[in-house]
Formats: sequence, structure tokens, C-alpha cells
Amino acid sequence: MVSQVRDSWDDERLLSALSEAIKARQAVPSWFIETGKNAFAWHNIDAELAQLTYDSNVDRREAAVMRSETASIRALTFTSAHLSLELEVTENSLLGQIIPPRAGTLEIHTRAGEISTTEVDEIGCFAVDPIPDSPFRLRCRAADGTDVLTGWVTI
Amino acid sequence: MRDDPHVVALVTRASGGDQDAWYEIVDRYAPLVYTICTRYRLSKHDVEDVAQNVWLLLVEQLGKLREPAALPGWLATTTTRECLRVVTAANKAERLGTGLDDSVLFIDDAAIDEEILMAEQNAALRAAFAELPPRCQQLLSMLISDPPHSYAEIHARLGIPVGSIGPQRARCLERMRRSSAFTALAAGDARIDIQGGEPSA
Repeated sequence: MVSQVRDSWDDERLLSALSEAIKARQAVPSWFIETGKNAFAWHNIDAELAQLTYDSNVDRREAAVMRSETASIRALTFTSAHLSLELEVTENSLLGQIIPPRAGTLEIHTRAGEISTTEVDEIGCFAVDPIPDSPFRLRCRAADGTDVLTGWVTI
Repeated sequence: MRDDPHVVALVTRASGGDQDAWYEIVDRYAPLVYTICTRYRLSKHDVEDVAQNVWLLLVEQLGKLREPAALPGWLATTTTRECLRVVTAANKAERLGTGLDDSVLFIDDAAIDEEILMAEQNAALRAAFAELPPRCQQLLSMLISDPPHSYAEIHARLGIPVGSIGPQRARCLERMRRSSAFTALAAGDARIDIQGGEPSA
């Protein structure tokens, strides 16, 4: 237990506690720290955040029942207060639809900070091609002003 | 959780856009987040995924944290939840056990509390150490290195007479005890220690 009166620690106890504290910090890889620092780039982004509400990888049985007619490898749904983003990963592309449908632009953000864009048609459909091979997040800027950002996705 | 004014200030500053404050938050709590990740035996890829999500969620929550002092608790809970999400996804996708004991799939509140206490203690000790003069930092670093340096090596490296190493070590540790970071930590204990007593201000 750590919850003891640390004020009364003798030198040996203090030195060994310090040793543990420094080891705990040294055990953290530098890339791990960098990941945390880089996250600040997302501070004050005005977009509304869409949460992952369905992932066929997490509930595959349900996916098999619901989507057995498609060649989908994985299906994901992100939901925000104003819209949902349905994603379907097929063998060579990532197809999506915004519900309720609306036109706009879709941005694909990578962890390295690169942004590419693709058009969203009037019925809310879009295709991301090729599928990013590293984690990405999608930001949907609809023509009506709705601005929604998903969490990170790894396909 | 006691109100650590330093943590409260860091959260307030970071939420106002101060990048240095954010870096300090990451530096202070990365060991807590990392330790929890290692308990789930995740791949490097999954650890990166968890870290990304945890810090991102925190960036988005900064302005909304009602009690900034509850930050370590929030981080520990969020990291645990993200780890469980990754472990569950991997289990279901492969339809194979991961070799993990079922017990890791439950959130063990007592273990999390212990982890948070340890993280706070470690952060305070590192802060206290950072406040020490360079000579003290060098001496204590050599004493706690693994394997520890002998007094002869310390003498050769730092030029401190062997007979002075013991007394200097004691003085450096005393300075650590008097540091603001350590005093704040010990003050929290005093409150816990007085059973039923009024919390001191």
C-alpha cells in the first residue's frame, strides 16, 4: 500500500520510492509520450465529436446476421447528436454514408497530420480509396454547416 | 482525491490553449496510462491506439472536467476502458483466447485506486527531484541507478570525498522532503491519517 504517512519516511524508504518513481518514468517509451503531446493539435477543433456506436469486430455475430448479403469485411457506425456516419470496409475500398443524407466534403486525417478530401454526394455517400493503412479519423463538413469528427479508426 | 493546486492549474492552462501545460500533463501522467496498458499485454500497435484515444479524449474534455483534481482518476478509468475495448475486439475477431486471465476483463476499482495513488506519489517525487540542485540530482541518480554505483565510483565521477557522500545524501533527501511537491503529498497523508478528524485546510 502507498497510503501511509510519507512524511515519516526514513532516508532508505524515500530513496527507494524515488528510484521507483524514476524507473516508472523511464519505462515509458518516447513514442508514447509523443503520441500524447501530439494530441494537443486537436485542441479547440470546433467539430462535433461522433462516438463509435457499432463495430462489427466487437460484435461479429450480430454483424453476420445483419449484413450477410454484403461482402463487407467490417462495418462501423459513428454517431453524433446531428448525424451518423456508417462505414463499410470491403476488400479494396471504404464506403460510407451520412445519415440523414446530405452533401458535403469528407476529410481524412492521418496521425502524421496529413489531410485528404473526398466529395460526399446528395444522398450522403462517399468512398475513401485507397483505405488508409494507418489510423485515421474522418471529419465531415456538410453543405448545411454540420461539422462532425469521428474518433480514430484502424482498419 | 485531494485537490492538487498544481494539477488544477495545469488543466486550466492547457484548456486555455497553453501547450507547455499540456506537455507537462502528458509527462506527469504518461507513466500511469502506460502502466495500465502493460497490464493488458497489448501489442505496440494496440497500445498506440489506446494512447491516441485516451489523450484525444482528454484534449476534448479539458474544458469540461468539473474537478480538474480528479484528472488521474479520469485517466485511469478511461485507459482501462480503452484497453478493455481493444482486448474485447481482438478476442471476438479471432475467436481465440488471448491467454489472458478472465480477471483482467473486469475493472478492478481497488487496483485502479492503487495505481492512481502510486502515480500521484511518483509524480510528486519526480517533481521534488526536479527541484533539487544539479549536484543533488547527480548524486541521487548514481545512488539509485541499477546496479547502484559504489562510493568509489561516485567519488571518481562527482569528486565528492567518500566520507562526505553519506552526509550529502542525507542533506539532499532532506531537501526533497522540504520541497513543495513532497510537502503537498505528505499533507494529503495527514488528512487520511486522522480518522474521523476534520480535513486540514
